[in-house]
Amino acid sequence: MRIVAFFVLFFGLIGCRESVQPTLVDKPVEVRRPQSFPPFEFPADNRPTALRIQLGRQLFYDTRLSSSNAIHCGSCHVLSAAFTDGRATSPGIAGIAGRRNAPTLANVAWMKRFMMEGGVPTLETQALAPLHDSLEMGTNMMRAVHRLNEDGDLKALAKAAYGRDSIDPFVVTRALACFQRTFVSGDSRYDRFLLGQKDQINEHELRGRDLFFSERTQCGSCHGGVFFTDMEYHNIGLYAVYSDEGKARATHLPGDVGKFKTPTLRNIQLTSPYMHDGSIASLEEVIAFYNRGGEPHINRDVRVRALQLSKQECDDLLAFLMTLTDWNFVQQKDLLPLER
Amino acid sequence: MNKVFLLLAVMIALVIASCTNEPEQTVIPASKATVRFSALWEGQPFEMQQVYTDAFGNRLRADGFLNFISLITLVKDDGSEVLIKDYALVNFYNANEITAEVPAGKYTTLKFGIGVPRDRNKDQDPAQYPSSSVLSVAGSQGMFWVWNTGYIFAKFEGKCDTTGTDGAELLTPIAIHAGDDASYREFVSQSFSIDLTGISKTFDVKLNVDQIFSPVNGNDVNIALQAITHTSTNPDLATNFMDNYLAALTFVP
Ligand code: HEC
Ligand code: HEC
Repeated sequence: MRIVAFFVLFFGLIGCRESVQPTLVDKPVEVRRPQSFPPFEFPADNRPTALRIQLGRQLFYDTRLSSSNAIHCGSCHVLSAAFTDGRATSPGIAGIAGRRNAPTLANVAWMKRFMMEGGVPTLETQALAPLHDSLEMGTNMMRAVHRLNEDGDLKALAKAAYGRDSIDPFVVTRALACFQRTFVSGDSRYDRFLLGQKDQINEHELRGRDLFFSERTQCGSCHGGVFFTDMEYHNIGLYAVYSDEGKARATHLPGDVGKFKTPTLRNIQLTSPYMHDGSIASLEEVIAFYNRGGEPHINRDVRVRALQLSKQECDDLLAFLMTLTDWNFVQQKDLLPLER
Repeated sequence: MNKVFLLLAVMIALVIASCTNEPEQTVIPASKATVRFSALWEGQPFEMQQVYTDAFGNRLRADGFLNFISLITLVKDDGSEVLIKDYALVNFYNANEITAEVPAGKYTTLKFGIGVPRDRNKDQDPAQYPSSSVLSVAGSQGMFWVWNTGYIFAKFEGKCDTTGTDGAELLTPIAIHAGDDASYREFVSQSFSIDLTGISKTFDVKLNVDQIFSPVNGNDVNIALQAITHTSTNPDLATNFMDNYLAALTFVP
């Protein structure tokens, strides 16, 4: 028995000497959540841990994920712009071939389905999409995984985080999702106001708030709840003829043409340009659009119609939308690339 | 130390016990069924990179032709079903054979799906399958959409010339990517009676590719008019392609 013990010790020591790195020890972490946000259940196979989030953070900013080795997730989802990119449309993304505007990733953990037609069921599966420039996926993810596996440190990190011997599509999709679920934004002036800090909002902004949630504008009926979205799909009459058919792309139903997922309005001041195709440059113009009532389209939601808002009322609405910016979120260092 | 001996003794006893339990049986050869998929153009093996002229006078060449075939099943004379293979990626041009041992008995029908059945198609996570599975990211070889989850059931890619000019270079791309639940088709053979007890038998399924690109089955897949679909971008072409595909399958038991 003693001999056996000796051998175990001996090989154990050899094993230790071979690995140059300090052992990576993982631990579960709590993702901070504002009081007003509903609890969020992480998927059973992807509960948050320190190393999973770290791995996801590294991958999010890793150009090896792109076939050109030139872009990473953070190229189109830039923290200072609440994870959007300031461009009308982003070139070369799966299936939309540069026809869509990069959406914010703030609070993605709570979103029900992903992409503007809601075709993707989980944040994990969504991560497969951006890795491909054409309509289909498969080979690019495999190439990316191949390149990543040449990086010993990253491999060790992946092993410690997910217990798998190599970096595979499972690890990449899980880690990216895990990191993205830490994009929590709920500390705007309006949130503080709701928590009782009445001085955070002035009268002008309050009038805007009342208008926003009024029967008259109906803004709040679609952009409602803590995330300022009903997570449903609507046609707001942006066009009389849609070249991007939105939800109908997935369902082929004529009644779904021009329907897009209601975007959150949190941090809206930072996420210009607006709409699925980035066709509206400023918030003033968005409000002017709603005031006119949209283009005639058979699927246009009845709530979008000419509003007859005065100049003052438009300004009030705008002022309210500006209270939804969370300045702490966009400066959160642990959401930026790791400094090496 | 005593414990170790006890453990050893138990293990030896177990080994002996398992040896004496060996059943004494006369060996009946296993019954085996092979389903072989191959593609033909006017009766000859259909080859990649070779130029063919279709019924509309278009000249075309295939660079790739990949298909999901699922739930390949043999039905016994008592109505019970024997699954040969759940999901397979079949490229047709390298005769693809799928073999399985089956219970002895008489069989009457062969059936399979073209595509991936509804319960495995939408809202699935291909990253969750081991890479040995054809439904996984690696195994599916790109036969998957991501902006709207779902597998591509049949992918025919190549080039064509639809100007009717002899010898002209083939420049127009063909990319028919048919998928989505509505594109799923089920092939059910005419009935037969074959006793597979103790024998190996190959069932030949042939796809007459020329019939897909022709009006004989009632649906025009005329690449001069339209040669590209990602299903959602041109659902009619995908539907016609799948309907013709099903009709272009022949099976002689
Ligand atoms: C070339 C620019 C670009 C890159 C690179 C990019 N994205 Fe995106 N992202 C977009 C666009 C555009 C959309 C909107 C697509 C749609 O809805 O059809 C989007 C949508 C998303 C969504 C869905 C959000 C929602 O609410 O539905 C998530 C999540 C996301 N991206 C994460 C990522 C991750 C993770 C990466 C890196 C692996 C990445 N993106 C790389 C442009 C990009
Ligand atoms: C019927 C539901 C509905 C109503 C009512 C509605 N919206 Fe929207 N809103 C949407 C949808 C859906 C989009 C995305 C449309 C698109 O991209 O084609 C959108 C887009 C926006 C955007 C751009 C967001 C971005 O990130 O690009 C802003 C800002 C906005 N709405 C503000 C308002 C205001 C202010 C009102 C009230 C005057 C209002 N909405 C009323 C559903 C609605």
